Amino acid sequence: MKKILSCLAVLALLLPAVAWAGDFKIGLMCPLTGTWASEGQDMKNIVSLLVDEANARGGINGKKVTLVVEDDAGDPRTAALAAQKLASSEVLAVIGTYGSAVTEASQNILDESGLVQIGTGSTSVRLTEKGLPLFFRTCPRDDAQGKAAAAAIVKGGYKAVALLHDNSSYAKGLAEESRAILEAAGVKVIFFDALTPGERDYTAILTKLKAAGPDLVFFTGYYPETGMLLRQKKEMGWNVPMMGGDAANHQDLVKIAGAEAAAGYFFISPPLPQDMDSPEAASFLKAFKARYDTVPVSVWAVLAGDAFKAIEAALAAGKAEPEAMAAWLKQLKGMPGLSGSLGFDAKGDRVGEFYRTYKVDASGAFVLQPK
Amino acid sequence: MEQFLQQVLNGLAVGGIYALVALGYTMVYGVLKLINFAHGDLFTIGAYLGLTLLVSCNLSGLLPVPLAVLAVFIMVALLVALIGFLLERAAYRPLRHAGRLSAVVSALGASIFFQNAVMLLYGARVYVYPDFLRPDFTVHLFGMNVPGVRLLVIAASIMLMLGLWAFIQRTRIGAAIRAVAIDPGAAQLMGINVDRIISLVFLIGPGLGGAAGLMVGIYYGQIDFTMGWSYGLKAFTAAILGGIGNIPGAMLGGLLLGVIEALAAGYIAIAWKDAIAFLVLILILIIRPTGILGERTADKL
Repeated sequence: MKKILSCLAVLALLLPAVAWAGDFKIGLMCPLTGTWASEGQDMKNIVSLLVDEANARGGINGKKVTLVVEDDAGDPRTAALAAQKLASSEVLAVIGTYGSAVTEASQNILDESGLVQIGTGSTSVRLTEKGLPLFFRTCPRDDAQGKAAAAAIVKGGYKAVALLHDNSSYAKGLAEESRAILEAAGVKVIFFDALTPGERDYTAILTKLKAAGPDLVFFTGYYPETGMLLRQKKEMGWNVPMMGGDAANHQDLVKIAGAEAAAGYFFISPPLPQDMDSPEAASFLKAFKARYDTVPVSVWAVLAGDAFKAIEAALAAGKAEPEAMAAWLKQLKGMPGLSGSLGFDAKGDRVGEFYRTYKVDASGAFVLQPK
Repeated sequence: MEQFLQQVLNGLAVGGIYALVALGYTMVYGVLKLINFAHGDLFTIGAYLGLTLLVSCNLSGLLPVPLAVLAVFIMVALLVALIGFLLERAAYRPLRHAGRLSAVVSALGASIFFQNAVMLLYGARVYVYPDFLRPDFTVHLFGMNVPGVRLLVIAASIMLMLGLWAFIQRTRIGAAIRAVAIDPGAAQLMGINVDRIISLVFLIGPGLGGAAGLMVGIYYGQIDFTMGWSYGLKAFTAAILGGIGNIPGAMLGGLLLGVIEALAAGYIAIAWKDAIAFLVLILILIIRPTGILGERTADKL
């Protein structure tokens, strides 16, 4: 009796694998609930749209693609559970997720299960420095942004820059990274300090900044403080140009600052498909609009679409085994993606120029600047 | 020199708001010996109610802007006063004889309740007051260009504070409040209705806090459901700095804290301004444990 039971158990374990052998199963881990639920909903919408498109074209090499979605709630503990569920549901690769700490909680579980993982909104440098052979990401690393910011400042011809951050590890890292590159490039950083986020009044800081006399203020923090700085800067009648990083990429910035104070402000950020003129972005946007009657609001969700495109291409090249897929992805360069050219280096980081400059126009709209 | 004056002015505008909020802490402490931790959240509620009345109820469309702002100012003060009154009835009065720790826990609970209620009613996103509500003019002062709205904020806070001070010092009810602060038992024997005085204090303090919330909303534009926490903490500090339970002390403490912060940011390091402000607080408390002006005005009568 015991023998029969154990045989049945083994069979039961094998069954799902047999039943799905004809399909490519791909996992998506995203925050469908919790603080970042809007990101996760968009990730799910975008990837399922691309999966349906792939199936409508007849699948990949004649095989259908099925998507398994798990909610990580934007929380590392839930993410560990979600990763385990995905690992036991016979997926070939996992896309996700948003938030470096959340992604990190799933990394080792997926690696030990021998699955390729492509992170989407996980910019912490550490994630690809651990030497996990199957981990990739479609988002840039935190230190890539510093290079892009410094390049934009040098290109703008600014000579004396004031750097301001908010002591968050993200903003501080970006400010320090930018300072090192700027100084190497011969641009003077005449001011370097941090404000306290969440306050209302930054006039004391602006008064001090003004006395230092910079020709550009680069605040690396988030949009609420950026909005307050712009507003109070205008109130003081100080016309120095100001720039920011991708944490400023939020329409509420203009609401807080007022269109008049925000005009002329620029920031660097990965571009959204609606701002890009590539054919991939245009056709994706058209399909997205037709199905969901809106546009993607966050670039991080679009990067989940790019992760799927990379996996799709690997499968089309016949690389379904994790090691083969990883090796293939590492040699991939210059594939057209939704957010620009797609490719990975030996560490699994995305390669290629990715950051673009946005400028706020007089009506308060974010306008993507030509390269 | 110009930069110094500019920083002092920056500090006075911030400090004026601290002082207004600090008055609520200090008045309640004066009569009940209770730190009303929910006071910062009443300030938040003032900011949100003001936005609702001005924009959603379209008062700013029905009336000329200055009139609408004035009307909303009064309405917000009254509404938040009412919430403060209900708070005292629901969360503090039943615990009046239950020991101080119970009341403090109740106050913390009320704070969490209000903060979450605002988040659930309005959502976690940042809200923004419309721009046209802000008076847009510049005043030339000692060779500086000062935004007019900044002077209005300072003037409005000082007027509210002086009004309160006159009320406490010059009226019979004010004298009753002072009497309850000195000795509730003796005040009751003298025929003062202590419960009614405490209710009155819970109308005035939150009313001023709500008005301060509206001022912050109009002046700075951006409001969110956690703003009461940071302003509450600073205002509480200001109340202790000036001497908790002491009304002129709260005004002085608020203005002083704002100026210290601005000067620390301007002349030492921006990132260290809070650390320096609190260092000054510690030093003052070491030299004068009851705060700059001592514990209670009433003692000095």
